Amino acid sequence: MDLVVQIMFGVTGLLILGAAFMVVSVRNIIHAALWLITCFFGIAMLYLLLQAEFLAIVQILLYIGAVAVLVLFAVMLTRQIDDPDEPVLFQRWRSTLLITAILFAAVLVPTIYNHNWLIFADPQPAFAGPRELGFAFMNAYLLPFQIAAVLLLAALVGAIIIAMEDQEQRRVRVLTLAEEVALRGEREPSPPTRPANPQPASSSSNPTPPPAPEQAGEGA
Amino acid sequence: MYDVVDFLLNTQLGLNSPDWVVMLISHLVVVGMLFAVAPLQVLFLTYYERRAIARMQDRVGPNRVGYEGLLQPVADGVKMFTKEDIVPDSADKIVHLLAPIVAAAPVLYMFAVLPWGPNMIAVDLPTGLLFFFAISSISTVGLLMAGWASNNKFALLGAMRAVAQVVSYEIPALLSLLFAVMFAGSMSLMAIVEAQGGLFISTTDVPSVPDLGLGWFVFTPVGFLAFVCFFIAALAEGERTPFDIPEADSEIVAGYMTEYSGMKFAMFYLAQYILNFLLCAITATIFFGGWQGPGVAWLVSQSLSADNPAGNPVYNVLAGMLGTFYLLAKTYMFFFVMVALRGAFPRLRIDQLMNFGWKFLIPLTMINILSAALWIAITRWGTAQGFGIIEFAGEPGNLVRWVIAFAVTLVINVAAYWFLARLNVQDHAARQAALTAGGLAVSPPRSA
Repeated sequence: MDLVVQIMFGVTGLLILGAAFMVVSVRNIIHAALWLITCFFGIAMLYLLLQAEFLAIVQILLYIGAVAVLVLFAVMLTRQIDDPDEPVLFQRWRSTLLITAILFAAVLVPTIYNHNWLIFADPQPAFAGPRELGFAFMNAYLLPFQIAAVLLLAALVGAIIIAMEDQEQRRVRVLTLAEEVALRGEREPSPPTRPANPQPASSSSNPTPPPAPEQAGEGA
Repeated sequence: MYDVVDFLLNTQLGLNSPDWVVMLISHLVVVGMLFAVAPLQVLFLTYYERRAIARMQDRVGPNRVGYEGLLQPVADGVKMFTKEDIVPDSADKIVHLLAPIVAAAPVLYMFAVLPWGPNMIAVDLPTGLLFFFAISSISTVGLLMAGWASNNKFALLGAMRAVAQVVSYEIPALLSLLFAVMFAGSMSLMAIVEAQGGLFISTTDVPSVPDLGLGWFVFTPVGFLAFVCFFIAALAEGERTPFDIPEADSEIVAGYMTEYSGMKFAMFYLAQYILNFLLCAITATIFFGGWQGPGVAWLVSQSLSADNPAGNPVYNVLAGMLGTFYLLAKTYMFFFVMVALRGAFPRLRIDQLMNFGWKFLIPLTMINILSAALWIAITRWGTAQGFGIIEFAGEPGNLVRWVIAFAVTLVINVAAYWFLARLNVQDHAARQAALTAGGLAVSPPRSA
């Protein structure tokens, strides 16, 4: 069983690393976002290998269902999705690489050396189930939990308040084409456009051209 | 299933197979059954929907292929298979190919945690409810991929609408389901169903109630409000008619599916109908007792199990059949409600959809969580837990506590509904007034 777990860990790790490398190296940013989703999936698989199924499910729900979808949504609204002239590496990438590598090592190396690794110890009972997490949140980590809860609730309530806000200043709803035309006609009483109209004779012969569509509508 | 395979292989045939072979075979059998059930459900549901909607529109509907048109879905499937697969020239080929798979595969995973009958569940995850909705949220990635990869403005618009809708209606859906987790004390769907025994009063609240399998959560004010909110949110997640703006065929052709044909289109269609079936099934499971119903508990008590070695295995089969029958009956009833809504209601505009979700459903579900907490505090907790609000000793005391909890939550929920509805009506009136003041409203019809 240990061998199976090790092989699965290796495959998952390669998947995560490969996906993460693709995220930063692919030119098309939509493809980068999709590779990011693959990377998130790999991390959820790692959680499953650690028997932390609750964390794995939350990882999928939050990072793929919410964060990644939001990223994709935002990226799709940008215009330059794929620019072949844009260099993937910018000029000072070597110094940037050095700095980030040092920072990464500063965190990781002490952790690796000081941590007491329990590789394949006796199978522990699931310690990251919802019940255990709930007890931990309600006992040992009550204050951080409460603060995070209030913060998230405030964000949700804030979103509702923004939606409920007095709307007179803003667009009340998406306008239909006819309403848009009517609004434009009202805002600019169109003296600059009318003279440019290449049919002054017909407008003088017809005394009331604007309400013509309305009359047609009434007749129908 | 494990026991059955173990019995057949090792006891009957004497093969003496190791544990993992038995486990593998039993899981494969269950998975094969579920994969067979999903497309068959889709075949039946499309026929059912077309006949029902035809009846609502005073038509006959498909009645030529097979007896009363029962083979029509099969004919449609054959047509889909033989159609040419067209990929637009300027589409992103790989993403275009992957999108239907990403949209359809997660939906099939959701079957894994759906309880069909007593002890009939593929995987009884302790976090089943969360798994169900976490997996369903992956499909939205597939929709976005389809919309973008088609390189078509209609498809992109449809994908944008779909994602905006699904993401904002996931919040009320999950918030309204939180009460079931609090009531059952577990996120396992099996535990949620098992907590709904009883007769209009759940046996988890009052243990002395006769167990007729009718102690459904929908019979409490908390459960009823959550049911209404969840079903509306489920309509939006399944892109059913009042909320079918992502594929509004009169506005944006077919939304994200515009550039798909043949089997790829069929995959989207399949995913959508399976999702609708599963949303109906989960509504039945959480609010209407799932496989619970009169008779199931008795059959289970007669059946063979570890606790009851003298039981007859025939009762195991009968209990499973009756439980599945109850679940499917409830599911088809909800699907009929979906069809009826499609026949009766026009489509919402996207701003109406967002207003309704964010200003009405989410505040209402939040107040409902408060009611659920009060319900638990009043019916379950005593001074032993340190939160004893009302305490009565003995058996009639439980009933009194239940009545008090019912009254309190009813008042809170009705008040919340009334207040929010009034607020939204005022808001709507204000916006209409702003429209008229801005000269944007359609002028009222003048008498000729």
